[in-house]
Amino acid sequence: MAAGGFRDVSGGSISFEQRLHSSLCGEFTVTSPKLSLRSVLAATSGVWLAAYFAFYYTQNSSVLSATIILTLVGMTVYLHLFKIDHETLLIIGSVGVQLTTLYASGRENVTFIEINKVKDIVINEAIYMQKVIYYLCILLKDPSNPRGVLEVVPVFQSAKPRLDCLTAVYRRCQQILLEAKIRYEQFETNGNL
Amino acid sequence: MVSDFFYPNMGGVESHIYQLSQCLLERGHKVVVVTHAYGRRRGVRYLTRGLKVYHLPLRVMYNQSTATSLFHSLPLLRWVLVRERVGLVHAHSSFSSMAHDALFHAKALGLRSVFTDHSLFGFADVSSVLTNKLLAVSLCDTSHVVCVSHTSKENTVLRAALDPARVSVIPNAVDPTDFTPRAGGRPDPRTLTVVVVSRLVYRKGIDLLAGIIPELCQKYPNLHFLIGGEGPKRIVLEEVREKYQLHDRVRLLGALEHKDVRNVLVQGHIFLNTSLTEAFCMAIVEAASCGLQVVSTKVGGVPEVLPEDLIILCEPTVKFLCEGLESAIKRQQLGTLPSAEAIHNRVKSLYSWRNVAERTEKVYDRVTKEMVLPIDKRLKRLMTHCGPVAGCIFALIAVLDVLFLFFLRWLVPDDIIDIAVDATGVKGVWKQQESFSTIKKHGKTPRNNCKVQT
Repeated sequence: MAAGGFRDVSGGSISFEQRLHSSLCGEFTVTSPKLSLRSVLAATSGVWLAAYFAFYYTQNSSVLSATIILTLVGMTVYLHLFKIDHETLLIIGSVGVQLTTLYASGRENVTFIEINKVKDIVINEAIYMQKVIYYLCILLKDPSNPRGVLEVVPVFQSAKPRLDCLTAVYRRCQQILLEAKIRYEQFETNGNL
Repeated sequence: MVSDFFYPNMGGVESHIYQLSQCLLERGHKVVVVTHAYGRRRGVRYLTRGLKVYHLPLRVMYNQSTATSLFHSLPLLRWVLVRERVGLVHAHSSFSSMAHDALFHAKALGLRSVFTDHSLFGFADVSSVLTNKLLAVSLCDTSHVVCVSHTSKENTVLRAALDPARVSVIPNAVDPTDFTPRAGGRPDPRTLTVVVVSRLVYRKGIDLLAGIIPELCQKYPNLHFLIGGEGPKRIVLEEVREKYQLHDRVRLLGALEHKDVRNVLVQGHIFLNTSLTEAFCMAIVEAASCGLQVVSTKVGGVPEVLPEDLIILCEPTVKFLCEGLESAIKRQQLGTLPSAEAIHNRVKSLYSWRNVAERTEKVYDRVTKEMVLPIDKRLKRLMTHCGPVAGCIFALIAVLDVLFLFFLRWLVPDDIIDIAVDATGVKGVWKQQESFSTIKKHGKTPRNNCKVQT
């Protein structure tokens, strides 16, 4: 188990943790910074202050009520659909790759990709907003074209770690995939793992 | 290398950037091309030899040139220049907004800059006056300027009021392997074919061509015209063909892909270029490389391109072009022309991209020895060189550009930007495919460098 302080592409701090359960299994978790109480209070105060000024000029109390409701609904939606706490990549050489996203509200989103669908795991480059970033992605095999790629599945989409963090994950994933491949070939030739 | 014009778009500037980049890579340099997105081709791509191309998602305004406000491209260009550790920015074409933007931002970032001008431009009309003023602003503090012919150099020096010592002439070249003569020599001389390959636009003298065709077809019953290219003037040629009933003797091939040009050229005996203005004219070099006799208008940089015995130069009028073509036809009939192979070998020795890269490298070496102008001297030069009004306006823009750069550096410092893995250059990893699908073949475990996804 190894943990370290890394940064995302914008310079914000993120924490990275890797658990190596065996030579065929690794778990990598990137944790985004928690939602700070200060920023929540500042945003809420700002919105409510603006609403109070609107109420002062319109003398319509429904403005205040609507603002309170909208703030609470907005906060709930943000925590449930957008604010991500943890992103986990679990790779088991003989089984597959599982991507888990844990939202601030506690909602969990899990995607599983069978190992025989995985063509490769690579670090790619992309233009994102006004930045050029590196991102880790899983390439899925195209059944109709052995050399083609059916789909590109990005990993750690929310945290967007920098290259040093991605390289650590990439290297370990490649070792696991290679180990799995060697064992599978041994099994095919010898008949035992 | 920065320009709005790059593959998949086709043209002289595009092939110049590509071929020059390939030869510089061959010489051990790290080269990165920055252009705008073409349809679904956006993001980062890799071409032959690991040439890295950034297709930036900037809005195209007119004729494949991006819309510019000067500032909107700074965040993205700065990110690219920092992550690729660029030491020199080489911008191409005065028609490219992105090239001018890149030059402006490169100076703000303290990088050396070189500009290559590929075209001739007028002085009198409104668009020329505005473009020339923009060029003067862009080039007044650019380290060095390259032109593709001596005529082009004179034109650029006058347009941008430059010191001629800061302008070099490096011509274009041709890839001799792409343009080889037809196996077994020229086609049957009993039916002579004149080939024209160009965009069918006013600047390429298509109106002159429309005057030449009926006159010569009437005089020479065995003469055929093969015309490749597309454009708004195609209708003029179709009208001529219709009017004089020349459907069997004038073939319009429409738009051609670059790979098909050679196959069209070798079907002919004579290549005709009717351009009204041309800085260099790659087409005549390509035609000569295929062993054709070239007849061309005597405009711009064309007289500098080929030796006198390989080209017949004419004034840009129907009368003189007809005379030129007639003398070329006589040469064909008398058989006094050197063989296609001999012409090809001469052109091959005259123009090579390796030679262009070598000469460009000398420009780079010269530029790296010079000091980049600090902001105060840069502002002074802008104000003295570009006139009292434009000078002050662009000096203000330069200050705003630097302030915007400071803001961006405060927002995301340079050390936060990930340094790109070099695909090419001294520490290039282009040939090292590091992944579980290829490691087994090489018998080694993954190293620090990441696999470059192509």
